[in-house]
Amino acid sequence: MIILDIKNLTLEIESNGVLIKALDKVSLTIQENEIRALVGESGSGKSLIVRAISGALPPQWIVTADRLTWRGQNLIKMTRAQRQAIMRRDIAVIFQDPMAALDPSAKLKDQMLESVPREFIEGRYAWQRYASRLSISHKILHKVGIQHVEECINKYPHEVSADICQKFMIAMALVSQPTLLIADDPTRGMETNTKKQILALFTRLNKTRNLSILFVSHDLLAISAMAHSMTVLYCGQTVESGKMKAMRRRPLHPYTKALMDSAPSFSPDLKPKSMLVALDGTIPTLQHLPIGCRLGPRCPRAAKECVQMPTERSINQHTYRCHYPMHVEPV
Amino acid sequence: MTPLLRIQQLTYNPPKRWEYFSPRSDFVLGPVDLHVNESETLAIIGSNDSGKSLLAKLIVGAVKPSSGEIILNGQPIGTHQSKARANNIRMVFRHSAESLNPGISVGSMLDEPLRLNTQLSPAMRLEKVMQTLSLVGLMPDYYYFYKHMLSDGQQQRVALARALILDPQVIVADEPFAALDPSVRSQTVNLLLKLQAELGLAFIFISHNLGIVRHMADRTIVMSGGQIVESNLTQTLFTAPQHPSAQKLIYAHNSMLKF
Repeated sequence: MIILDIKNLTLEIESNGVLIKALDKVSLTIQENEIRALVGESGSGKSLIVRAISGALPPQWIVTADRLTWRGQNLIKMTRAQRQAIMRRDIAVIFQDPMAALDPSAKLKDQMLESVPREFIEGRYAWQRYASRLSISHKILHKVGIQHVEECINKYPHEVSADICQKFMIAMALVSQPTLLIADDPTRGMETNTKKQILALFTRLNKTRNLSILFVSHDLLAISAMAHSMTVLYCGQTVESGKMKAMRRRPLHPYTKALMDSAPSFSPDLKPKSMLVALDGTIPTLQHLPIGCRLGPRCPRAAKECVQMPTERSINQHTYRCHYPMHVEPV
Repeated sequence: MTPLLRIQQLTYNPPKRWEYFSPRSDFVLGPVDLHVNESETLAIIGSNDSGKSLLAKLIVGAVKPSSGEIILNGQPIGTHQSKARANNIRMVFRHSAESLNPGISVGSMLDEPLRLNTQLSPAMRLEKVMQTLSLVGLMPDYYYFYKHMLSDGQQQRVALARALILDPQVIVADEPFAALDPSVRSQTVNLLLKLQAELGLAFIFISHNLGIVRHMADRTIVMSGGQIVESNLTQTLFTAPQHPSAQKLIYAHNSMLKF
């Protein structure tokens, strides 16, 4: 069953009297009990999608969508209170940059205790309820792999290292036992061991608690280790989406191909110190977006038609938007 | 063959401060021995707080070591601030974007090390800056650009140009790829490989991205708790790590590779 369904989500930002489409017809679905990866470089609008789902966008930005639904309920038409209720109990978000997302003026303990939902707290009197909050927090903090909970919990965010902050963010998100976890770049800057722990935790929760995860990242190694399916985003356009295995074996869009090539770990027969295959140039800024397929100027297979936005085509649940996909020989 | 850069028994003890209430940190780096040959790439990996960045800072001279010797081309670089070190060992900082001065143009950023360290005339300095810009794949126009006009990849290139401008023999880079996107990262890797082949640079870099370490490095050093616990050829290390902390890192990496 599809729990989160996004179809043709468009986000327009006004800048100097011109409307810029920061997101252009993005489609994304998350099945129950699925780990979906959302891949894209910085500036491709990954975080904007996360914020559009969680409703954390400034009111002057125009969001339009054919569908933006949570279990069949339209999130756009919803009142603020209804949406907050869903965000509180069903969807949990781990925001990017934990240092910025945590309150610098409160101790980690207070922030953690605050995020424990009222329904889980036992006891009648204040001290019992406090103890209950504390024990729930301790349990979840142990679970996310913080070793010295007692030491860290009484500190302010700036006093502990970034990956402990990140783990606190994850703990705060998981404490409400959500159905969908949206993790915005949770493994950024982590060393391999910690990353593996976090990924193992996510996989375990997915298997035991039926947690669905939207894993937003550009770390392909982490993604391929855990995700079931993947959506690739470039400059606010979804270029390809499908099952992880199929996409790794045979990417159809040139951009996905380039992404896969950029991780040397994926090609074991690559000679050490050989040149990697890379696209020229960099991702364009929002003020200078090309028309049509936005990969156009960087794409090795681009031709005249690419100034038109390609329509979405699909083969075996593997959808892509490209005039000249990889499985068709260029003319 | 004598190695280009040799480090012998380098140690660093953090200065003791009179802090009555806070716990005394007993972190000690070293003693560290390592060497790098010409046009060789050395990678340093390890978990957080293992002293990787500190070692990099000690090598370039940003932090003064407590004891030990750094020998470049057979000549010990004795004092902490020596001209030979400033000219021959250059650093690319962790967040290249934040290490660039937003208030001055790329040209003056690159001109500064030349003005301070060489006797070149202004015209020659300009020529050198242009040469270095084209070396890292930037247009001459970038001389007049400011930091905010550049994309991530271009900022990384400027940071690299700043390290290259004095024709160093060794470049030390602290996580040069961490903040970059995949496609830009590939470009940077290619650029570094190209420069190394052309200029014969020795390159020491710290990275968490073991895929890139495996691809780029000739030898790899594993650090843990301020000590070098294992040092071996990259391929050997990745197939058969010996020390527990090296095993932990490499098995974690390999387990993610399995599909």
